[in-house]
Formats: sequence, C-alpha cells, structure tokens
Amino acid sequence: MAGWSGRRTSLTIVLFLLPTIVAILIFNVYPLILNTYTSFTNRNQFRPNPDCANGLNGVLDPLCWGVFKAPQGLGSPYRLQSPILKNYSILMGTLFTPASLLALLKIIIILAPLVVASQVNKRLDRGLTRSIPSGAVWLLAIIALVILGAALNFFAALNILMSTGDFLIVVARTLLFVMLRVPLTFVLALTLALILNDKTLKGNTFFRAVLFLPWGASSVAILISLVWQFIFREQGVINQLLAALFHIKGPVWLNNPIAAFGVIVVADIYFSFPFFMVAILGALQSIPADTYEAADVEGANYWDKLFGITLPLIRPAILPATVLTSITAFQMFGTAYAITQGGPQTGAATPGATEFVMLYAYRQIFQLQNYGIATAFAVIIFIFLFGVTLWSLRLTHITRGVYE
Amino acid sequence: MTRKTRTTVRIIQYVILILAALYAFYPIWFAILASGRSGDRLYTLNLPGMFFPTEWTFENYRTMLFGRPFLTWLKNSFVVAGATTVLSLVICTASAFVLSRFKFKGREFFLIFLLAIQTFPGLLSLVAIAQLLTAFGLYGKHAGLVLAYTTGTLVFCTWNMKGYFDTIPIDLEESAMLDGCGPIQAFVLVALPLVRPALAVTAILAFLSGWGDFIFASVLVPAPDSLKLAVPALYELANSVSVPWGQFAAGAVIVVLPTIVVFLLAQGAFEAGLTMGGVKG
Repeated sequence: MAGWSGRRTSLTIVLFLLPTIVAILIFNVYPLILNTYTSFTNRNQFRPNPDCANGLNGVLDPLCWGVFKAPQGLGSPYRLQSPILKNYSILMGTLFTPASLLALLKIIIILAPLVVASQVNKRLDRGLTRSIPSGAVWLLAIIALVILGAALNFFAALNILMSTGDFLIVVARTLLFVMLRVPLTFVLALTLALILNDKTLKGNTFFRAVLFLPWGASSVAILISLVWQFIFREQGVINQLLAALFHIKGPVWLNNPIAAFGVIVVADIYFSFPFFMVAILGALQSIPADTYEAADVEGANYWDKLFGITLPLIRPAILPATVLTSITAFQMFGTAYAITQGGPQTGAATPGATEFVMLYAYRQIFQLQNYGIATAFAVIIFIFLFGVTLWSLRLTHITRGVYE
Repeated sequence: MTRKTRTTVRIIQYVILILAALYAFYPIWFAILASGRSGDRLYTLNLPGMFFPTEWTFENYRTMLFGRPFLTWLKNSFVVAGATTVLSLVICTASAFVLSRFKFKGREFFLIFLLAIQTFPGLLSLVAIAQLLTAFGLYGKHAGLVLAYTTGTLVFCTWNMKGYFDTIPIDLEESAMLDGCGPIQAFVLVALPLVRPALAVTAILAFLSGWGDFIFASVLVPAPDSLKLAVPALYELANSVSVPWGQFAAGAVIVVLPTIVVFLLAQGAFEAGLTMGGVKG
C-alpha cells in the first residue's frame, strides 16, 4: 500500500504483528520446544522435577527459573537419558525388528495397487478422451489388492504390526476413525446440501435452521457428548426403543469395542456435518444455472450432472474444508473423552478400543504422568500433522493473498 | 421426468430431511426433557417420556441457579470468554490488516508458519503452559486462562479476518488516502465497517472457544469452586458419585441454549462468511 515512507511502513508492520508473534512464541513455540526437549529426558511421575544443572533443563524448564526455588525431596530429579532416544524406542516397541518391518513392507505392497490406480486415473484424465473408464481402473486395482492380500497374508502381517506396541495401534485406530468419519460426514452433508439447495422445497428455512443446530452444540461438545453417552447407555434411549418396538434386549453399546467405536463416529459426525453442509451449500450456489441447462440439452440424467458438473465444480471450495476436518478429526478429543474415556479396555496393558491419539496422550500425561513417553509421542504426532498440513497447503493454494 | 417420479423424489427428500432433523435435534431435546424431570433420574421408563414432556418441573433450574454456585460459574465463563474475545479481535485484526494490506518480506512465510505451528495440538502443550503460568504467577487465575485461550484463537482469527480483508478492494482505501487519510485511518474508517459480518463471526467463534472449552479450564483453573468455569464444573458434576441428573441437565441447557440461539441468529453471517473468507480463501 502506498502512502507512507518505507521506515514508517515497516514500523507499522512490526508493531501490528508483534502481539501475535509474542503470543505465538510464548504459548505455541515455547511449549513445542520444551516438549521436544522433555522427550529426551526420563521425566515421569517419580521424577517430576528437573535437575537444573543437567543439559538444557536450567534454561528450558520454568521450575529452574529463579522465580521459585527448585523444589526438593520429591523423588530424584529428571535429566537427559542415555540412550537419548529411549522414549521413542519404548513407544515404537518392536517396530524396528526384521519381522515387523517385513510385515510393514507386505502391507505397503498390498495397498500399492490403490496408489497406482489413482495415478493412472489422473494421467488418463489429462487426455482429451478416456479410453478406459475410471471405474474399470479401480476395479482392476481392487482385484489386484485382493489377490496380493491373499498371497501375502494381509491379516497376519497386520497382527504382527499391531503387536509391536501402543503407537501403531493408537495411530491406526485414529486413522480408521478419520477414514470413517470424514467420508460419512461428507456424504451426509452433500446429500442434505443438494436437497436444501432447491429453493422451491417447502420448509427449506426450517430445515436449514434445525440442521444448523449441532454446529452451535459443537462449541460445548463435551456436554452434548455426555448426552450421546446417555442415549447409548444400557438403559438409554436406543435400548428402550429396541425393547419397546422389536422386543430385543439391546447390547451394552459402550462395553463392546466395535459398537463403542461406532457410537463415537455417530456422535462426532453429529458435531461436524453442519459446517460441511453450509460450506457445500455456499459452493453449490456459486454454480451458474446455465451450466445445467446445457447438460439438459445434451440429455444428461441426474447422476451425470452430479458427477460431471456439480462435484468437479464444488471441489476447489470443498477441498480445504475436507483437509481441515480430517486434521481436526485426527485430533478429536472431547467426544471420545466424554463418551467412553478411551474404553472399553480389551486387555490390561493395551490401549482401549476408542483410545485415539489425543486420548492416549491425555492418559499418558495426566493419569500416568509418563511425561517422557507422552512428549515423544507428541513429537511424532506433530511431525506427522505438520507434514500433512504443508502438503494440504500445496494442494489447496490457500495462502494466495490480495496481490497475487 | 414424469409427475409421479417427481413426487416420489420429493417424498424421499423429506424422509431424509426429517431423519436428519431428528438426528440434529434429539440430543438437545433429550437434555431439555431431562432438565424438567423431578427427582434425580436421567431416564424415565415410560417410553413416551423420552420424547415428549410428560412431566415438567422447574425445580432443577431453581436448585441449579440458587442452590449451587452455578451463577458464579456462568459469570466466570462469561468474563473469561468475553475478555478472550476482545483481546483476540484487537490482536488479530491488527495482524490481519498488515498481512492483507502490506506486501513485505516473510509475509507468506508468516502465514504458513501460523498454520503449521497450530498443528501442534493444544492438549499436548498444556503441561508446558501450566508450568509457564505457574512461573508467572498466573496459574489458577482467570488471566492465565484468557491468555491461553486468546493465543488459541489467534491463528484461525488472523486467517479468517485476512481472508475477508482480501475481498475488500484496496481502491476504496486508496481513494480515502488521496483525501488525506493515513493507511491505518483509511483502513479503520473505510475497510473495517465493510467487514462487520466477519468481525461478528470471528467474535462469536472466539467467545465460544472460551465459553465451551473443557480441557484447558479444568487443568489451568482446577479450584476453588468460586473460580471454576461453567462447562468443566458441570462435567465434574456429571462425574461425581451420586449425580443429580436433573440439575446437571438444567445446567447444560442453560449453557447450551444461548450458544445455539446465537448461532441461529448469526446463521446468515456464517453462510455468507464461510463462502467468502474461510473456505474460498
């Protein structure tokens, strides 16, 4: 922007950004640094306090800053441990043994046809005419997947991987949750948005308002999640309905690993679909009507128009929302915490059926006080999320500003 | 398409809409019904009572509002969330203004840096934040909580406001500057009034991030009763030994209903806002 000389402009920029920068440095960057550092120490419930002379403890841990005296007598102090990556190796368990790595390789090979299929489709799409429909490519990929899966014994490999330690179990379950929750949310939101996009539909405003409600409820998600727990309890609404309508004694939903997982998915979709629905509705309204008229002249049916016009046209607007919800779904905490608290437990030393990454971290930090392990876990999760975010930025080009 | 299939399609559409509406509304309705049941029961064994108010009493609301420190909790939540909103809007409007209106070295980097740093989940930095606040003497105080919440909203708020500012043509301000305004004055007088809906949406979301939060509040202000915030206090109530369910439900309704009303009032702004700022970028 013109109007000021260079020095005054740069002074404004610095002054206006300063509060943000300071806040981010103190409350985001510093915890990240302390967290990464702690992951190399043996801090746990028996060693909560730092040995201020050791490593960078004196600089990084607030307990060493002269504001208060370093507390004495609460067990021995924590310090850098050797080997320095011990927490990481505990977390990873037996992942880096030849047997586990072989299992991992097998699973990668089995899943490879899907990646190949999506690449082949992308290349075919670039051409003017498609010789092979995309469905056929996917079908071939799935056949290859099944054959490879049978040949390499997919489930045995999976079992080997899952028995390597907590880390893979927790991450795999969270990814499964994301893969169920995000597409289901998308389908539900798309269906509702397509219906509500019809202005001639009677009661349009009413349904829009009612379907918007859970977004409001999602800001107090922890309380509404408790309500979901009430609905699925043994004496809850669902089981009462089952008993009254079909004379079935309903299961104890939250004690069954698979059912509890499903309840979490249903409750979390509840919180997230209105945002998606509103985003899709907005995108739908920006499609010019004459696009459809041209398709009508060509004799296209409803599904042709949906897959040929609507979905490709709303894609640029919906993609950032999808990436965003995938990342928030990966970090989901409140819903599962209120409904199952990570349970039901399937074994003494294994994570519960709905113990997703954030619940696992929460339990390690606040219940078991395994700070070392928890921070190592946090570092790995952060690297993963960081990578995904950067990749999604490239994918969605949302950093372009007003000048570009 | 023949007349008959059109009617069939309409019926299917309405069935889907009604089922979805039940899904969206029932959990809230359940809380409302439970808040009006006498005694400490969460359920009633007559099935119609699960769906219609077959019995109704305001006893729970009365106990909650006058027999417990619930009004104090509400006031605490309101003060903390309000302070977060004001602080957050001031800070992020300033940074969004600079990021949208000036071209400078490191601008792109800063924007990406904000997004990237935010991927470190707040829950995982909670121990460090608690230690830091203890060192500054802010642990267990509302001020510390406000600082933590404000930082939590900054990234979203900056990005969202910047997205909106980008949609306001800079020519408007430039013509104001020809008339003798400085860039800041031009921005405040010309651009800021144009983004009022954006300010409203951002303010609502910042307020609710404090109003509805559970985990930060329960860790950073664990005690005493007089300092607690409404949501963690209610959650604690629901997990105490013998739970007065009706009272819990009444409290939850008091916390949730205003939230939902605000959302409904701002629905238009949300729908316009998302398509302009948040999603399209």
